[in-house]
Amino acid sequence: MKAGEARIEDLKQKLRHVIKRSVYVYRVDCGGCNGCEIEIFAAITPVYDAERFGIKVVPSPRHADILLLTGPVTRAMRVPALRAYQAMPDPKIVVAYGACGCSGGIFHDSYAVWGGARSICPVDVYIPGCPPTPAATLHGFAVALDLLQQKIRRQEHAEKATTPVAPEDAGIRPDIVRAIQREARRLAGYWQGKQIASRYLELIGDGDPVAVDRRVKEMARQSGDPRVTEILLRLHRLYLERTEDDERRGEDERRGQGVPAVGEVR
Amino acid sequence: MLKLLKKVVQVGEVTTRYPQQRVEVAPGFRGKPVYDFSRCVACGACATACPPNAITLQQDRERGVATWQLDYGRCIFCGRCEEVCPTGAIQLSDDFELASLSRDDLFSTAEIQLMQCETCQQYFAPGREVQYVRARLGGAGLSENGRWLQVLRQCPRCRRRRTARIIPHLAYGPRGGKGGKRA
Repeated sequence: MKAGEARIEDLKQKLRHVIKRSVYVYRVDCGGCNGCEIEIFAAITPVYDAERFGIKVVPSPRHADILLLTGPVTRAMRVPALRAYQAMPDPKIVVAYGACGCSGGIFHDSYAVWGGARSICPVDVYIPGCPPTPAATLHGFAVALDLLQQKIRRQEHAEKATTPVAPEDAGIRPDIVRAIQREARRLAGYWQGKQIASRYLELIGDGDPVAVDRRVKEMARQSGDPRVTEILLRLHRLYLERTEDDERRGEDERRGQGVPAVGEVR
Repeated sequence: MLKLLKKVVQVGEVTTRYPQQRVEVAPGFRGKPVYDFSRCVACGACATACPPNAITLQQDRERGVATWQLDYGRCIFCGRCEEVCPTGAIQLSDDFELASLSRDDLFSTAEIQLMQCETCQQYFAPGREVQYVRARLGGAGLSENGRWLQVLRQCPRCRRRRTARIIPHLAYGPRGGKGGKRA
């Protein structure tokens, strides 16, 4: 930790006293998928305009102050990357860009990969992301140039004794909740499905069938998207089927020809 | 030149004022995965799903602790962890400002206590997970003092032994296993 702080101090010294002008960036693709390159070029378009901060991408390492290493550092790109590093004049700042540059990313366990820019030279700033968005790129450069503070901090949690986690209870039977979530997910994918299912489950909260029916139909009419309407109505049909089954089972039990309840594991 | 100026006036300013102003991200943007320690049951679903192994879960059975770790420097922001998490303990946020001056700051770790087996006293599963399963099964209609509660408090090895002891009873009745009678 101490060494890390010393390095950050050293970086600030470089910026304040040595590099007093705008900084030029030389970019090396160390065997990445070029997603990072696309985002870097997006960051220097007029929309994000990295030149507002004096950041310019230059074609030679001898003109550059910042070395931007993208990609997981493959065996073949190790020596060219090192040559670029050695060709840069001191002082230089090395930025590891993207998940691959930071740690090898999704290629971390490949036989042909050294695993991140850190494996070949000392890195000053890490910009995670796969790829980092242009805004994240600008934030990373701003952190590198000491214009902005870094936001992310190491987080550590621990528990002394087991603290129970209560399952979420919406007041509806868990198997019905699960059936609705599954159906929504099947119809709309995990992300949209989760949202639609939670919207639907909010509606059936108190369980009064007539009110629930009215609210669901109202919501389906207002949703404005025929797909969402269809999914909501299907979920509602599923819910009605399930609750009707339960009622039928209840009646059977009353008549004395009981279907065994969900119960004891033997 | 005049043509160009005309174009410039027509289009106006497109540059965002990013560090001064927030950038609006698209709905469904997959940013930094935020971990909620109070909801995590250390089931390891996220660690199994994570394509680049950014999330890891390791059980230290000597110390009785499960260590969960998320490496933001390796995360590819695919959202599979959010998808599989049964309790909603991990959720992707809108935050993309993850740049860091040290590799150490890109980690998030959590230590969760393991539970001891009732029979052999060895650590076998996160206590939170076992209690969560118990609460879920209780909510699904299993009786509060059934045999399943004992089974839940045992490690897989002791559970197998117990089953092996019970099977002859199930097959031949309580005095089974004395041999000869049925053969």
